[in-house]
Amino acid sequence: MTAPTSAHIRCSIVPPYLLARLASLQAPEHQHAAAAAQRALVQLEPIHSARADAPRDPSRGAGTAVVLALRRTISDAGGSESLPGEPVRREGDPPTGDVAVDEAYAGLGATYELFQEVYGRSSIDNAGLPLNATVHYGREYDNAFWDGSRMVFGDGDGEIFGRFTASLAVIGHELAHGFTQYSSNLRYQGQSGALNESLSDVFGVLVEQRERGQSADAASWLVGEGLFTEQVEGRALRSLKAPGTAYDDDVLGKDPQPATMADYVDTTSDNGGVHINSGIPNHAFYIAAMRLGGNAWERAGQIWYDAATGGRVPVDCDFALFASVTVDAAEARFGAGSPEAESVGYAWREVGVL
Amino acid sequence: MTRIEVSRSGGFAGLTRTWSVDVSSTEAEERWLPLLDQADPGGSEETQRDRYVYHIAVGYREVTVAESAVQGPWKELVERVKNASTGQREDKPEEGS
Repeated sequence: MTAPTSAHIRCSIVPPYLLARLASLQAPEHQHAAAAAQRALVQLEPIHSARADAPRDPSRGAGTAVVLALRRTISDAGGSESLPGEPVRREGDPPTGDVAVDEAYAGLGATYELFQEVYGRSSIDNAGLPLNATVHYGREYDNAFWDGSRMVFGDGDGEIFGRFTASLAVIGHELAHGFTQYSSNLRYQGQSGALNESLSDVFGVLVEQRERGQSADAASWLVGEGLFTEQVEGRALRSLKAPGTAYDDDVLGKDPQPATMADYVDTTSDNGGVHINSGIPNHAFYIAAMRLGGNAWERAGQIWYDAATGGRVPVDCDFALFASVTVDAAEARFGAGSPEAESVGYAWREVGVL
Repeated sequence: MTRIEVSRSGGFAGLTRTWSVDVSSTEAEERWLPLLDQADPGGSEETQRDRYVYHIAVGYREVTVAESAVQGPWKELVERVKNASTGQREDKPEEGS
């Protein structure tokens, strides 16, 4: 997977964006073209600097292109709140022995592989974006976030939360925020914000399920297993299988997520309940995936991926529109009346969205 | 006396925590109310995800401040309330109103 970083071969015949598209083709008849395009792309020099100024839809000038290879850099904030911190593990470096650093490194790799190997996407922006993470952010910091260009993980307070890299689904969740930023860019407020959150939870659990080789019926469908300390009565932060049941603790209270529209929460907190009402689209994905059976990242995941990247999800998309886009995506890929399209429609009706 | 309440929502976990402290009216009027009366504390959250949102109330004045904007005097205010509340945690789940 390692690209020749010293290569400066430039291709000015086939535009890089076209190479990237060719490289992502999945149909058997396009295998040869896809492989050739991938070979071409890995010989081209990446651009790093423009990315910071262009957080989404990066445009590339003539003669520049992208590398279809995984390039991770994990930095250590050393307990400070300044970013990015000190780089401590770069692509190809051996494990450092710092568990947070090594978990972040592995988690970025697993997330990259889901998008690359299953959906044919070259990194989160489909243009080979290097993946960056910072660990040991802040003191007793009980959070993990995406800052627009990197994932940031706290160590937790040790009483309620341990380190946030402990859950692969959390790492996948944060990186999937980058994926959404570069695709639909759903506004982080109200229903569109809850969809943004849900897409992160969905692809987060899919990264974990694929890494563990778990089919839909064998998976826990939990987000954030292993984050809570033993003092907390709870298995995880959220459950796609049964929203509202992930924890029930004296100090933390009860998981507030609704599973259906009947329990939709109107609130001004949390950007309009983006981490609350995400339970509804989360549960729809779970129902669709279970109805289809097998590996959730294959058919259900592909449909959600197609919907998110198909250009039909506006930044202010609500649940109902997103639902209809997923049904259309299922019909486009698997056919009208297919079990896939039927299952997706059924799932959204079950949660009261359609 | 004036009550200051800091409520932190959002974050990856989506848990809301609330801290409060009663301060003298002099402290509220001289130190904190002028801060709340300032223009929007700013701090673009345009591309930030899973960060905290702070709702800060001093008496009847209330503002919402993004985590990335909790710097300088805003950080002092939040720390002032958090530290004063130590030992009387008011953790609670999102209630939705």
